[in-house]
Amino acid sequence: MPAPAPYACRSASHVSRRSFLTGATAGTLGMLGFHGMARAEGAQALASAQKQVVVFFLHGGVSQLETWDPKPGTPTGGPFQPIQTSVPGVQICELLPYTAQIMHHMALIRGVNTAEGDHAKGQYIMETGHPQRQGFEYPALGSAMAYHLQPPGSPLPGYININTGAAFPQEAAFLGPRFAGLTLPAAGTPANLLRPESITDTQDAARRALRQKMSARFEQGRKGAMIEAYNQSHDQAANLLSKKDVFDFSRMPSTDEARYGNHEFGKACRMALRMLEQGITFVKVGHTNYDTHSENFNFHIEQLGEFDRTFATFVTDLADRGLLKHTLVIVMSEFGRTPRINHLVGRDHWGTAWSVALGGAGIQGGAVSGKTNEDGTKVIDREVNGGHLFHTYYRAVGLDPTKSFYNNGQPVDKADHKAEAISEILA
Amino acid sequence: MPNFVRIVVACCAVAGGLSVGGPLAWADDPLATQIDQQIAAGPDYAAMAAPLADDAEFIRRVSLDLNGVTPTTARVREFLASTAPNKREALVDELLASPLYARHMEKVFDVMLMQRRGNKHVPAANWSKYLRESFAANKPWDQMARELLSQDGSDPALRPAARFFLDRDADPHLITKDVGRLFLGVNLECAQCHDHPAIDDYKQAHYWGLHAFLVRSFVFQNPNEPAVLAEKAEGEVTFESVFEIRDKKSTGPKSTMPVLFDGKPFDEPKFEKDAGYKVKPADKVKPIPLHSRRALLGPAVADPASPKFARAFANRVWWLMFGRGLVEPLELDHSDNPPSHPALLDALTQEVIARKYDLKSLLRSIALSQTYQRGSLPPAGAPEAPPERFAVAPLRPMSAEQLAWSYSQAVGLLDAHKAPLGPTGTVDQAMDKLPSVEPHFRNYFASEAGRIERGYDARSDQALFLAHDGSLLSWISPSGPNLATRMLAIPADQPEAMAEELYLSVLSRPATAEEKADVVAYLSASSDDRTKAVMHLIWATVNSAEFRFNH
Repeated sequence: MPAPAPYACRSASHVSRRSFLTGATAGTLGMLGFHGMARAEGAQALASAQKQVVVFFLHGGVSQLETWDPKPGTPTGGPFQPIQTSVPGVQICELLPYTAQIMHHMALIRGVNTAEGDHAKGQYIMETGHPQRQGFEYPALGSAMAYHLQPPGSPLPGYININTGAAFPQEAAFLGPRFAGLTLPAAGTPANLLRPESITDTQDAARRALRQKMSARFEQGRKGAMIEAYNQSHDQAANLLSKKDVFDFSRMPSTDEARYGNHEFGKACRMALRMLEQGITFVKVGHTNYDTHSENFNFHIEQLGEFDRTFATFVTDLADRGLLKHTLVIVMSEFGRTPRINHLVGRDHWGTAWSVALGGAGIQGGAVSGKTNEDGTKVIDREVNGGHLFHTYYRAVGLDPTKSFYNNGQPVDKADHKAEAISEILA
Repeated sequence: MPNFVRIVVACCAVAGGLSVGGPLAWADDPLATQIDQQIAAGPDYAAMAAPLADDAEFIRRVSLDLNGVTPTTARVREFLASTAPNKREALVDELLASPLYARHMEKVFDVMLMQRRGNKHVPAANWSKYLRESFAANKPWDQMARELLSQDGSDPALRPAARFFLDRDADPHLITKDVGRLFLGVNLECAQCHDHPAIDDYKQAHYWGLHAFLVRSFVFQNPNEPAVLAEKAEGEVTFESVFEIRDKKSTGPKSTMPVLFDGKPFDEPKFEKDAGYKVKPADKVKPIPLHSRRALLGPAVADPASPKFARAFANRVWWLMFGRGLVEPLELDHSDNPPSHPALLDALTQEVIARKYDLKSLLRSIALSQTYQRGSLPPAGAPEAPPERFAVAPLRPMSAEQLAWSYSQAVGLLDAHKAPLGPTGTVDQAMDKLPSVEPHFRNYFASEAGRIERGYDARSDQALFLAHDGSLLSWISPSGPNLATRMLAIPADQPEAMAEELYLSVLSRPATAEEKADVVAYLSASSDDRTKAVMHLIWATVNSAEFRFNH
């Protein structure tokens, strides 16, 4: 467990890492009564065949000014200069020189206003597309994408978190535990994946069959949702064990270490690539920590120095393997950082005018949407929120975001019905 | 092996209540009677209601609810064999008198009040001790609430109570929310910046009225001394609705004195600048104001006559025994979210006040009600009973702590650690010898420390832990007088007796003929050595859904 970053704020929601598996699921008592909807949404399923999604979540809140929306020469701009990218006319911060070379794969959304400066609430908006609502849980993007896009009968989970720290709680909500994320450490197998050698395959199968039989007997005549979820967790565990080689980091080419960097994030990205190659629908990779209330510039040099080359290598590898055209890439945070530089040379939480980067499937490479004013304190063109972002993600992978989920017969917006897709960046 | 007699509790549903035949005498508890009458009064209740739980289901449930652990194999045998007519009442009293009661409540209230936080200003161990002693002494809840909200950490005897403030870093926003949520059944979180957008009863003024008690308090610490709470003599709260600002309807910022909801605001003496101090703030000096706002909070919140406080407690005690409140969720008590049984909640609230916040006595009355003692299996063909009708005992996932100790109980880890203590050794003492059991399970089954416990989770990482963790597997293998040892001591030609030992130990009930046949078949089909076959039988049983839930 790494020591807490010295620049960390004390928010309870602050990034922390659990070195073991967490959070592969959910479904509250009241929400397990999900009776589903027709899963085969016909033509839509066809249009989104094979689509995959990878999210880079920069925990703590990355600065938009030191990444996608530089404001050189202004009081808020900080010391860094913008640089040219592979897309004429599009400039990003000089802290991202490698990413600049792959900008033709990426689009920028510079008009994000989520109006939320709290870590947990900001993350909630970015992960679910909706502000938090008391007494109700929206499914997270990963669960929703696993629900829509995971090939039926797949023994592997549809949603994997790598190096993301604390799990996003109750992320599958009413979709049910099948669609919750499985959390992996950056480099390695899930905790307890391997069965002790003292138990053979035959013995394991026999004990599991008996467990199942006893549970089925207990379930008879009772309302089954919680029991079913519990039994499913045992089935999922057995499935994971049967595919244990997928998680075997030692099977990955060691030459990649130099290209991706010998650090946690590099390992996490290599693992993410492996997961996408194995057909996992949704992979979320965490990188921490961007909560730079003090020494914003030094810490962004350090953090982005690790992120930039590794991320660019990852996108390039996806493209070289032919995966990028059906894989949506999203770079997000819980919010951006204040244009105002505080007395500790830090930037604070800021959800009012910041940026998200997208690339790959369904995205028009090099496109830019939205604009902030000269010193970056306000969105002046094409302001968007979590709802718009979710419409855009759904469209990019060929899904209809205006359809509803049905939770016990009640319609739930897949993406906020008051928003629409940012169509100008869609391919 | 001793024979046991399974007492069948015959019962039949009649309109307006259920009568119990057979050898069981019903306890004469007016509150329990009132509960049963109110709950049974709803439409079609008799048709939906499950018959009373049998003795085995009852002893398991009530042991989990009052002691946090399934009963020992010996106690199950004894209880099932007993023909005493008042044996359920006697069991409830035994459980309430056990040291395991305070141990369990310590966990329950730590999760509620501090969300399993680790060490900060007050070591978690001191806090646990404070809770344990409070529940062992059955300290009235209003007294405990006043201690939690009033102590500043300087009184060594009650310093742990100050943890509620200190380990929240005296953050006035966090404490405003938690005081409302935990003590008053009102979550004001969404009323900080404006009146609650969805709940008419929750006003921005309520948030700031509560906040005004706290705004002057802070954590004070001199080098090498423990942190304590301190307070300034100045500091006002002002608030303005962001909705009104947006809609250009704001008449400007408002201010408020400390006040709870729509009550009377507290007045306070006015002082010239810097004259409001008994001890003035200075370097390394803890200031002491002449007038303390924080000191008003405990008595105001935990006013024994305060309906919100007593009602929130009544609702929470109900929740402890049924897994859901009469008002659900517990922290959203307001007029658009009425209780499922308003008259019953009113009656329980009155009883809380009349009984002076006596937790044990309330738990006892509820445990003696027929409503609590219903079976968990709905009657065949009956209309489905919504959970808020309390017609069928709910299925409740065990907490991380209940699971940890019940697992240890089931596989005989506790027996193995109790044996060296001699004939007077207790389960409570055996638990003391096993400090790593709870943390081990919390890793997988508890919310992260400091986070509010959320709903039920069933995750593959938990199942991998249950299937492959080395410690768990070692507890299942024969060691001392644990379950595997006991089963292996039964002659191989008596597999039915092995099944009996397995079911009584793990599931707290006798095995049916069909279940015995399964065990016999498993043992005879298995080509493994007997030890392994027994271990796998134990594994399957302790990982069955029946074990995972309190039912």
